[in-house]
Amino acid sequence: MTHEKLLDRLWLLLVALTLGGAWIGEAVEPGLAVTLIISLTMAFKGRIVVDHFMELKTANRMLRNLMRGFFYVLPAVNVLTILFGDWLARLTTL
Amino acid sequence: MLLTADVPPPEPVAGRIPGNKGIWAGILSEMTEFALLFGVYFVARAHYPEVFREGPARLSTLAGTLNTVMMISGSYFVAKAVHAIRQNRQQACLRWLLLVLLAASGYLLIKALEFRWNLSQGVTGGMNLFFTVYYYLTFTHMVHVVWGMMGLMWVMVRTRSGAYSPADHDGLEAFASYWHATDLAWLVIFPLLYVLH
Repeated sequence: MTHEKLLDRLWLLLVALTLGGAWIGEAVEPGLAVTLIISLTMAFKGRIVVDHFMELKTANRMLRNLMRGFFYVLPAVNVLTILFGDWLARLTTL
Repeated sequence: MLLTADVPPPEPVAGRIPGNKGIWAGILSEMTEFALLFGVYFVARAHYPEVFREGPARLSTLAGTLNTVMMISGSYFVAKAVHAIRQNRQQACLRWLLLVLLAASGYLLIKALEFRWNLSQGVTGGMNLFFTVYYYLTFTHMVHVVWGMMGLMWVMVRTRSGAYSPADHDGLEAFASYWHATDLAWLVIFPLLYVLH
């Protein structure tokens, strides 16, 4: 597949994931499973942009790791906040 | 050296820094700023889970979704513009950049309509901590989009004047990297503020 065709398909995939995510948020009962799906989608979408649109997949390793790390850490913290919110609240109470 | 459209574009060198080091100092600062703001979001949500569960229902999911499509599409158009200049297709590059400008303008228009709709519904930053975080995050993001639009207009002028070539388009790549980073920040904002209930 050419680079141009790959970009076209990834754009369509990102739009489809966005619409799917919005539908889940509106139609599905909130819960841990929904949070997991939304967090994984966030991580996946970020990885696509970092690797293919930003072209960091083959670029400088430190930049790649930092930008990819953003989309490992934030979705994980999102899930952990749901699971251990009370603990985080106690930890951050002055 | 003048390349024609049927000559394959030069492959980016592995391990390189897209654009230049200066723009990456800016991008990493931007990502650090948003990481801090997301940290505030998580701490606030841990303290007020009910408020953060109910908040997204008061926002327009349609506006959030459309803005996500605008940001993703803008990012895609930028990637296509960079690809076009590598093939020495300056007019095509300029057309893709024009589409980026349209996507960015669409984002600003939707944001303005969303804020107006919010106010008509009585949704203000002082309602509770969710809306304080919502306005702080989305305003901050909007400011970054406006900065990006200024950079976009600059690279459009440079592209039109023939400043970029397949061998030298670091300025265009620098703008592209910044725009993608702004898109990335929104890819976190959208699920946290509009989707997660």
